[in-house]
Amino acid sequence: MNLLSFQPHGREISDTIVSYDPDTLERHSVLKSEVLREFVAVGNRRAISIVERIPERDDVLDPAVVDDLLVRTHCEMQRISEEFQHGMRVAELLKPLLQALRDKDIEKPMRIVDIGCGTGYVLRWLANTRALGEDVELIGADLNVALIREAQRLAAAEKLDCKFIIANAFRLDHAAHIYISTGILHHFRDAALSELLEQHDRPDTCAFVHFDFHPSRFAPFGSWLFHAVRMREPLAKHDGVLSAVRAHNSRLLLEAARSAAPDFVSAIYGTRLWGLPIPRVFHSLVGVRAKYRDRFLQNMGGRIASLGCIE
Amino acid sequence: MTTFFLLWILATVDAAFIGYREAAGRNALIDKGRYYRWAMVRGALLGQIAVGVVGAFAIVILAFSADRSSLIGQFEDMGTRMLTVFVPYALILFLAFLVRLMPSVDLRSITSVIIFGPFTLIRPVVVIAGIIWGLLYGPNWITILLAALILFLMLGFEWAIGKRRLLD
Repeated sequence: MNLLSFQPHGREISDTIVSYDPDTLERHSVLKSEVLREFVAVGNRRAISIVERIPERDDVLDPAVVDDLLVRTHCEMQRISEEFQHGMRVAELLKPLLQALRDKDIEKPMRIVDIGCGTGYVLRWLANTRALGEDVELIGADLNVALIREAQRLAAAEKLDCKFIIANAFRLDHAAHIYISTGILHHFRDAALSELLEQHDRPDTCAFVHFDFHPSRFAPFGSWLFHAVRMREPLAKHDGVLSAVRAHNSRLLLEAARSAAPDFVSAIYGTRLWGLPIPRVFHSLVGVRAKYRDRFLQNMGGRIASLGCIE
Repeated sequence: MTTFFLLWILATVDAAFIGYREAAGRNALIDKGRYYRWAMVRGALLGQIAVGVVGAFAIVILAFSADRSSLIGQFEDMGTRMLTVFVPYALILFLAFLVRLMPSVDLRSITSVIIFGPFTLIRPVVVIAGIIWGLLYGPNWITILLAALILFLMLGFEWAIGKRRLLD
């Protein structure tokens, strides 16, 4: 895996080998030749060699093989989340936020919807540890059928109190009180990022918390190192490093949130480790309705200083 | 004898962690302490096969040696020099585990960023460096052969148990 071969403007392989209609949820056939053409255009030889190995029939990528590959890749990605304590990291921001909502007597249960939840690691971790309290409903939504089935299987195996559904997260019967996500923001570029953030502005929605890789000079190398030593799947290694390369910087995220979701007070947390100029692995874009802001900040207490905040 | 005992301890712990690494990323359940414990036990047990191969090789060589006590001395000197490389590496990892016991997301993450990730990456280099340093004491065809066998087993063990799982 050559770090220098990465083209920052190319997409991740996992974005190209599977396609769902966000309205009908119907799966589209993906032509191998088209995927290869995309990677040839950006000169991503590593991606070309990985895609070439995926079997196809009449140029259509084998959906069963793609699903199996994506489930295995998500399983490996979960290992990185576990090592970096991502569940606990999410809980540390959600707890004060939920308490702010409770303090304002919001209707129960409070719904947290994980957008593009994949195999649902974050929600399953939160359900397993009961970190957020009994008055919280955890719902994971993803368009990918295989990933959601795997999330459902895993949640059932551990009898976890969380739900996973094949759906567009913004078209559920009930909107979320809090939308969360991990590692999806960088998949949305330019206008698509604004469209994603605009969709948060629903009457019931009080806040959003989106985690993504924190870009820094060292992030691509750090990501390469971890994916080289922890991952087995070439796709996981490739996409993991590319994600760090493509991650949005804090300012861009903040400006996008303020312009696309102006009714939320937005901030970026987790920019500096212990207030020192050491970047964190993840940063998080947090938006709250103005009426919850003060209570949220109060509940965060000293965490705000240690997290580092761009507000 | 202390040298051989310490090398055995380090080899067993290394094998246990190889078992852990080989099992990681294959099970997406949340609560999998038992899964990892068993992976480490399996790694440590399989590691005994590697230790046994080295031990058996050394015993055979000693059996045919005219000057056993001198050869044992050579093995011990070689092992002692290897320990000067392996022990600091192991101690740093041990200290990082102690830090990781603290319930802080940041502290735990930083141990991964600074220690666990990079140290996993450089493990093959440390293995090679330790063995070369051990050999430099006074290489002869017996110690070179023994060192080559240890090198092969230490670097090939992770691949071998990964392969074994794939064959399952």
